[in-house]
Amino acid sequence: MLPVLHITGAGVVSAIGCGQEETLDALRKGLAGIAPVQYLQTDERRFPVGEVKASNKELAARCGAAEGLSRTSLLGIVALQEALQQAGLKDLTGVPLIGGTTVGGMDLTERIFPAYSRLHDCGASTDAIADHFGGAPFTTTLSTACSSAANAIIFGANLIRSGRADIVAVGGSECLSDFHLHGFGSLMILDEAPCRPFDATRAGLNLGEGAAFLILESETSMKHRGARSLGILSGFGNACDAFHQTASSENGEGAFLAMQKALAMAALHPQDIGYVNAHGTGTPNNDASESAALRRVFGDSLPPISSTKAFTGHTTSASGSIEAVFCLLALREGFIPPQLNWKEADPACITPYPGASCPAPTGHLPLKHILCNAFGFGGNDSSILLSHA
Amino acid sequence: MRKVYLHSRCELLPGDPEPDWRSVFSVMEARRMGRLLKRAVWTSSEALKQAGIDVPDAVIIGTDFGCIDNSEHFLKAVKGMDDAPLKPTHFMQSTHNTIASMIAIRLGSHGYNATYSHRGRSYESALEDAWMQIALGDIDTALVGWFDELTPLLAESLAAQGIDPREHALAVVLSSNPDGAMEELSL
Repeated sequence: MLPVLHITGAGVVSAIGCGQEETLDALRKGLAGIAPVQYLQTDERRFPVGEVKASNKELAARCGAAEGLSRTSLLGIVALQEALQQAGLKDLTGVPLIGGTTVGGMDLTERIFPAYSRLHDCGASTDAIADHFGGAPFTTTLSTACSSAANAIIFGANLIRSGRADIVAVGGSECLSDFHLHGFGSLMILDEAPCRPFDATRAGLNLGEGAAFLILESETSMKHRGARSLGILSGFGNACDAFHQTASSENGEGAFLAMQKALAMAALHPQDIGYVNAHGTGTPNNDASESAALRRVFGDSLPPISSTKAFTGHTTSASGSIEAVFCLLALREGFIPPQLNWKEADPACITPYPGASCPAPTGHLPLKHILCNAFGFGGNDSSILLSHA
Repeated sequence: MRKVYLHSRCELLPGDPEPDWRSVFSVMEARRMGRLLKRAVWTSSEALKQAGIDVPDAVIIGTDFGCIDNSEHFLKAVKGMDDAPLKPTHFMQSTHNTIASMIAIRLGSHGYNATYSHRGRSYESALEDAWMQIALGDIDTALVGWFDELTPLLAESLAAQGIDPREHALAVVLSSNPDGAMEELSL
């Protein structure tokens, strides 16, 4: 069993809004943020994307950051600011920062190539976020593709479990880049229409961007600071599909092991889970593989499951922490984000949660424990378990 | 907290002669893999062999720039330079976690798998991750590596920033078992 790991602050920015309240409002109203490219400099215009609706200049102005930073860092600063504020922290004094990204400063490099931006690498993007908040005693960066932020949460949790820290800031940040828009395009896994996770007609994902950070701390630290718990990180699992560089195995072995590890660590049973925020990218392969894994974990009694990527697009390295914040909001409000864009059942897929037939914002579902999946290229599959404080 | 022991260490230094790849891969495999991946898989296999471990509980890699050669190839194509074709393989193998993933696929390792990319601290972080999990009792053994390659453009860019550009190909095996260990690892 884990020692109690409290989440005392959360911050989020994505295509559906800046901050927890805008985000919750969009999730409740079913408002997606997928649209044609508006801010990214690219000649690839075929695919809709989930952009944060602000230019770099506007983002920098919003958080008082330097404009020359990568968009990855700017988004990270916006999200971390909210998380620190909610946790009652002025800056990162005494708070290690664990980031997750893959794009890093590629958005800067691709504008000046053949030359590298000095902020090109993943670590530089995390350090720029830390520097904005007065520097952190320790920074590092996970880069496990689309599970980077989930793995940053896991590393931060282990720092606390092993007594190497009492409090950590953990999460991920990723901006859209011409590089990875073309990259996902070359793999033929982008949909020219809004993505339809778990639907029989699903034809690929929509790329998104954003950032989210959590403040994670020990019970002692939280009580000492007089902070309030928003929820508990009650378990996590990281496993490798070890199948293919970009494709997922048919039986979803990595995903299955990750979810099973998270449940075992929390000493919970599958029937304790009230909602699964699926990785659910909308690609034919991921959704079938994840469905196979979900069926192996939950058998015939599947909990409500949805993929919020139909709202935000696939925010790649940041998705693990962005969706963890969605799950915290779900726990707080007793609300399950519905599956957007789902019409036709696919026998290879689970049937996602369609949402209440009529809007019932006051309706309280007995949500106590939520599993949140983040899987990446290379079979880097992670699952985290969030519980009511 | 348990003690953590170093069981083996295998490193290829920049000036070292190329090892005989055939001890680890077939000629065909070697041809398909880039230099960075070959060095990574080879040093990992040697380190595991020396430690007498077939499949470690975790594969944890540090890389400052990842598979930068593939990233450059793909960037050139995106920017329409040199008529470079947009090859999905270059993109697939440009992500930093390609190395850890490739090692896991070859070993059939379904355990914990992670990649750190934080310039100057990538390897340290990978080591710390493995150390914590062994100390906590989550895992018993871990393969930890540090892999980086240089391209002329990256070397030039780092030198201009006053950084000594270096390649890395280092694999170590850690374990909770003191028997046959080289030394205890304290962090």
